[in-house]
Amino acid sequence: MAHETQASAAPIADVPLSPSFGWGWTIALLLSGILVVLLAYALIMLLLVGTGLWGTNIPFVWGFDLINYAWWIGIANGATLVASILVLRKHDLRTAVNRFAEAVSLFGVICAGIFPIFHLGKPWLFYWVFPLPYTFEVWPQFRSSLTWDFWAISTHAIMTAMLWYTGLIPDLATLRDRAATHRCRKVFGFFALGWRGSARHWAYHQTAYRIIAILMLPLILVMQSVVSLEHAVMLPPGWHQSSQPLYYIASGLAQGIAAVLLIAVLLRRLLGLERYIDDGDVQLMAKLVASSGLIIAYVYTSWILLSLLSSDAVRAATVARLNGTYAAFFWSSLVLMALVPQLLWIPRIRNSFWGTVLVALAAIVGVWLDRFSIMIGGLEKRYLPWGYDLYWPTTPEWFLLAGTAGLFTGQLLLFARYLPVVSMYETRHDEHLVEGR
Amino acid sequence: MRRPSVSGIIAEFDRPEALIEAAQRVQEAGYTKVDAFSPFPLTKVNEILGYKPSWFPYVPLAAAIVGGAVQYFAQYWMNVIDYPINVGGRPLHSWPPFLPSMIIVAILWAGVTTFLILLFAARLPRLNHPVFAVPDFERASQDRFFIWIRADDPLFDLEETSRLLTALNPQALREVPG
Repeated sequence: MAHETQASAAPIADVPLSPSFGWGWTIALLLSGILVVLLAYALIMLLLVGTGLWGTNIPFVWGFDLINYAWWIGIANGATLVASILVLRKHDLRTAVNRFAEAVSLFGVICAGIFPIFHLGKPWLFYWVFPLPYTFEVWPQFRSSLTWDFWAISTHAIMTAMLWYTGLIPDLATLRDRAATHRCRKVFGFFALGWRGSARHWAYHQTAYRIIAILMLPLILVMQSVVSLEHAVMLPPGWHQSSQPLYYIASGLAQGIAAVLLIAVLLRRLLGLERYIDDGDVQLMAKLVASSGLIIAYVYTSWILLSLLSSDAVRAATVARLNGTYAAFFWSSLVLMALVPQLLWIPRIRNSFWGTVLVALAAIVGVWLDRFSIMIGGLEKRYLPWGYDLYWPTTPEWFLLAGTAGLFTGQLLLFARYLPVVSMYETRHDEHLVEGR
Repeated sequence: MRRPSVSGIIAEFDRPEALIEAAQRVQEAGYTKVDAFSPFPLTKVNEILGYKPSWFPYVPLAAAIVGGAVQYFAQYWMNVIDYPINVGGRPLHSWPPFLPSMIIVAILWAGVTTFLILLFAARLPRLNHPVFAVPDFERASQDRFFIWIRADDPLFDLEETSRLLTALNPQALREVPG
């Protein structure tokens, strides 16, 4: 029996400890490395030239910077929500999904965090939002949404990193103890902090893990609603509804769950972890994606109806969004976010690799188009007799999107290569409980 | 030749149930300086050995309240008292914009406190420890279960304690080097 227990979690540990990983991984890492170089190029050019490189102008003050920020933070928040609820509910799905859902969330925050700094115009002065008494003793303006971004993103990054790392400590100890080479043992041993798995360790570890998971829940709700609060403190009509936070939460969470589903399906196929992330887990997440599509459909419908019943200015702004130059973004996002995920109710699609991959990708792309529609389409209606230029992204902005996608993929690849993607101690725990039944 | 110092006796089991039973017996025998090692959390062992950190959640809660208050009043002091900025004659103490970072920073204080308590209470990081010198102990993080009676326990006696642990039928019984 004991040997079965050892065999049970060993394949997960074998992945990070194996000396080679195949050429597919190397090529994927190289490709994402190229995209990261593009990102670095776009950011360095931005520092040298300035935001004139982007297609933004009055009234389209925000371009890909804020679209991508809201999109990445949505992925991070959705993945965090999945991870924390699973920890708190002690759901069986937790063992399979949690570790990489937390990783998705951390990598999403890292990608998101780039944009608020670099959209400042003078990014090298970003630390001015932090209340340091500079030589001229000027304090930051705390009524500005820039300071909210600073606190929100730095907190989010620290908290997701802590959630992920806390869950990882016992598994790092397993890697330390299974490592074949001395160097491997030293590196994993350093990050395992000397974990011994003693009763004292476990008692505090389990409590701490749950407390951090509980803290994530209000944090992500605040994160998503602050994005809509940042819209609400500005003048354009159509950005002030009190239901707007809900709108961001619904679409952001749907996108995060879709990202977790996508990565679950890819990981289990590519790493051969079908035993740990089983069909039941994937089915459950697919149904979650489909249900969140339904919630999005509801929120969208109520938004359209409420806006059309509002004041003239709001109605005009809404009509411009639904029927203006950028209408295609709105309608295609609605189809991709709300309707396409409904395909997952069909068992044949839910069970097929390509079916889940394509539908999950569609939902994620749909949310991106939706963020475009809010930030750009929401500003299309003018109130002054000038400024008739439209917004179209420039090549450096596309580099930003592709670059952060590369950064995200690269981090995921390194994670899948060097760390256990499924919680090993939870796997052992589950099997112990099954045996006990 | 001088006898090497011993910091306790450790018994190795191959099943979690055996560890739970061992913890129960050792507890009943009156030992207090006992620790158990397992590759996954065993709530029962924690209960038997008396690790119930029920006070734990209150500390982060207190930290959240202090952190939120510090953040709110720091914003108030900086923007209202020390460096007031008059924007179109609006009230200086405009509290709603002070709320987002107050809530977020309260969560940050609670989270960091939780993590620090975990490290402090688990006495981590500590990369070296006597039990790591025990042969086979690397399986404590994989598939074996250990119970360790420390030498500084008032009831500890090399022979007496060994007899108690042997009666539990362990896979192996070893001395932990001091």
